[in-house]
Amino acid sequence: MRKKKGFRVWILLVAVFVCFVAMWPLYELLNLSVRDISDYSSRLAFPEVIKLSNFKDAFMNKQVWIGFKNSFIYASLTILLEVVIGSMAGYGLSRGSKRTTKSIKSVQMLIMMVPGVVTLVGTYALMTKLGLTNSLFALALLTAAGGIPSCSFIYMNFINSIPVALDEAARIDGANVTNTFFRIILPQLTPITITRSIMIAIGAWNNYLMPLYLINNANKQPIILVIRSAFAMVGGDRNLAMACATCTIGILPVIVVYCILQKRIIASQIGSSIKG
Amino acid sequence: MQKKLNRKYFLFIVPAIFMVVAFKFFPIGNAFRLCLYDWDGFSPEMKFTGFENFKVLVKDQYFWKALKATLCYAFGITIVKNIVGLALGLFVNKEFKGRGAVRAIVYLPIMISGFIMGQIMYYFYQYDGGIFNELLGKLGIEPIYFMQTGNRTILVVILTTSILHIGSTMLTYLAGLQRIPNELKESCRLDGANKWNEFIHITLPLLQPSIISSVILNLIASFKIYDIIGAMGAGGPDGASSSLTQLISKYYFSQFRAGYGATIAFVFFFIIVVIAWPINKYLNSKKVEF
Repeated sequence: MRKKKGFRVWILLVAVFVCFVAMWPLYELLNLSVRDISDYSSRLAFPEVIKLSNFKDAFMNKQVWIGFKNSFIYASLTILLEVVIGSMAGYGLSRGSKRTTKSIKSVQMLIMMVPGVVTLVGTYALMTKLGLTNSLFALALLTAAGGIPSCSFIYMNFINSIPVALDEAARIDGANVTNTFFRIILPQLTPITITRSIMIAIGAWNNYLMPLYLINNANKQPIILVIRSAFAMVGGDRNLAMACATCTIGILPVIVVYCILQKRIIASQIGSSIKG
Repeated sequence: MQKKLNRKYFLFIVPAIFMVVAFKFFPIGNAFRLCLYDWDGFSPEMKFTGFENFKVLVKDQYFWKALKATLCYAFGITIVKNIVGLALGLFVNKEFKGRGAVRAIVYLPIMISGFIMGQIMYYFYQYDGGIFNELLGKLGIEPIYFMQTGNRTILVVILTTSILHIGSTMLTYLAGLQRIPNELKESCRLDGANKWNEFIHITLPLLQPSIISSVILNLIASFKIYDIIGAMGAGGPDGASSSLTQLISKYYFSQFRAGYGATIAFVFFFIIVVIAWPINKYLNSKKVEF
């Protein structure tokens, strides 16, 4: 009995330590964002004077709202492109000839090895020529292209578990392949579409490399670039608190979504790694 | 009939294929084309120089430094993440109250942009007033330069990135662990094996699919390391801890040597394939069935 209790204490200690390590950076972000400019006290303890007006000032910054709007548009476009194209491809891969699927699967690993920077460098000149820089749609296209291969295979795995008999029944009822997919199969994919959309949205919200070089118009900046310029203005730590407050607000949507849907996100991550 | 249907099904894949060709294969081809030119990235004139860029690359010390650092990052992060991730996977697979919360909290840092995490970590590693140096000061230890010190910076980046992004690896192993049938463990225990033997002879071999996918995915992802490095303030001294991705964007976008930047980009992709492809083949050839 006593031994059992010791065992539990060990688990508790590890659990607390692990959570502490994961949360420490966020604690510091919050800690730094409620300070006064002149507050140079220890960063370990919470500041004595808590200055919440930093958040208010950050909220008043027009650029933050523009960033939110652009990130929202960017994320939505990426979801639309990736989910539609990815789920269609997943259906084709699942129901089509096995030989095609196999050969596509063999190049999937190769596609995954293409770094984002190669995509960027290889398309940047073309983007400039076509006037696609400063375009959120072009940004979404590039981002979606990076995600489509894995997205298609996740959909394929899911559609594989839907009986082909369903398609056949629909065909006998006179539905063509397109109708079968959009009317019969797609509605069944709702759970996976929701989790995929969340993951895509968070990915787009967090994407840094591509917006950094493709967007230079302040009115088109996604939130990550607004946060970047807030930190860039810090210079000699002069207004670190403001930058941290902007950053906190910028990641707040992600954290809220994660807190609400963490069960689903974690379950989908576990699920996708089993099949992968 | 089936053939006709198959053709229809293939049409469903066409948009995806188009996207991949347009934004994955075309850029590689285009990067290769740019390799052969001396070009600043925006002016209409491009000077054809043949393989001159490759000759420059072989002699470019920054390329070799970045290559070394990138290899260190890729293999270092893969090793640390898989060892710690496996340990964490075993841990959160135990039955205890609140394990769901532990999983969720460990996974949380992945949800936040690498750039932002790096930016926060920058204030941990600052020499003057950084959080770690403050802690060391409390212990009576002199402050340490973490960033811009070459090998030490590489080590710091490896550890930081691995620990912040451990959640995905943890979940991969958790998924693998949940798949191991309980009967196997029980029969092993009935045969009188202790925990360690059970781990070595039952758990580890049956985790092979998870190990394979985790190693290969982490390796590919770690090669591309970019935002967290720059934001943390790593890169120096004199490029000793900068990654190839950083170097490419520096040449292409800041120094306006697009042709040369594209050369490194193309070589970079080639290196990833040459290293990751055989590892993938080798690991997959050893797959176990159960």
